[in-house]
This record gives sequence, structure tokens and C-alpha cells, in this order.
Amino acid sequence: MIGGTEMSLKGQLKEFDASRKRPPEVVAILRRGIDDVRESGAAGLRIGERAPDFALPNQRGETVRLSERLSRGPVVLSFYRGVW
Amino acid sequence: MQTIRSLGADLVAISPERPDNTLTMAEKHAIPIDILSDATSEVLKKYRLWFAVPAEVKTLYLEKFGLNLEKHNGAGRWELPVPATYVLDQDGIVRAGEADPDYTVRMEPAEIVAAIRSIVGGP
Repeated sequence: MIGGTEMSLKGQLKEFDASRKRPPEVVAILRRGIDDVRESGAAGLRIGERAPDFALPNQRGETVRLSERLSRGPVVLSFYRGVW
Repeated sequence: MQTIRSLGADLVAISPERPDNTLTMAEKHAIPIDILSDATSEVLKKYRLWFAVPAEVKTLYLEKFGLNLEKHNGAGRWELPVPATYVLDQDGIVRAGEADPDYTVRMEPAEIVAAIRSIVGGP
């Protein structure tokens, strides 16, 4: 683990990102990209809002429905970009 | 992960990628969480997390990183979610969460666990 077991996930991610030592022009493009998305208003759900239901296939091709999962207990949803 | 499960909660991951065809069925069964494929970005849009990759970033991915998103997401799909985490109670209400276009920022696991504890009323 980067930086020892006590470091927060945010701390670890910052360290990892810095360790990539990207050229300044690349960092600038990525920063501008992040700012563009921020300005686009893609801000996600608000606290207290009801999460829209959905049904999507999982890695085995089985349909997973959010409302069905919620009937069993709380659900943590994690949106990620991909395995790359 | 185990802490989340031990509190009676479930973890579900969602990406715009097409289902992974590189894994064997045994490997797919070994993955302990559901990894969902939003191949039309319908759910990303419903959750207001969808964005089209800016042109300048697309060029960078292709030319500097050797990353062609179409290979992962499908033809013409230069689109991604804002990375986000939501903790939902059993009514589907967002009780905690974080969404940040800066992909180096993620919700702390300890905050996720604390939110679940406050929902289930545990110590």
C-alpha cells in the first residue's frame, strides 16, 4: 500500500497521481477536461434525493434490478469509468 | 467490502463498458460484487453523471495513452460517468455520497461504512 496503512484513500490517490510524473502539458489538458465536465453540470444526485431505479446486466449476463437489491438492504452504488 | 456486507448492505459497481468478454465464466463467478454494464449510458444519464469526453482529452487518450474508449464502450461511445459513490437506504434515498469529475478524488471507505451504520442503526 502506498504511504502506509494509515493514509486515507484520498491521500493514496493523490500520491499515486503525483507518482505518475506526467508532463505539465498533459496535466493541463486533463485539468481543463475536468473543469469542462464540472461546468457541464453533471453533478449527480443530491443527498436526500431518491435514486432512480434501473435494471442492468452484471458480468455474468444476469439482470440486476436496484429496487430488488434495496428490498434486501442498503446499497452502495459505485460509478466508475472502466477497467482501463 | 466485508464490512459493508457484514452490515447487511450490498455493493454494486456500474460502468459504461460493454460486458467483459476476456474473463472466463469461472473468473466471473469469483468476482464477489456485481459489476453492471450500462451499455447505452441510460443509467449514467438518469443519475446526471454522464459526460462526453472533451475533444482535447480524447486526442490525448488516443495519441499519448493509447486508450481507445470505443474498444471498451462500443462504437462512437466517447462517454464516461463522473466517478461517484452513493449510499442508499432501503427506500432508495441517497443518504451519503460524493461525485467529482476529478477522478483522483473518491469517497472515503470509512465515510461509506459510517453512512451504512447510520442507516442500519448499528454501533
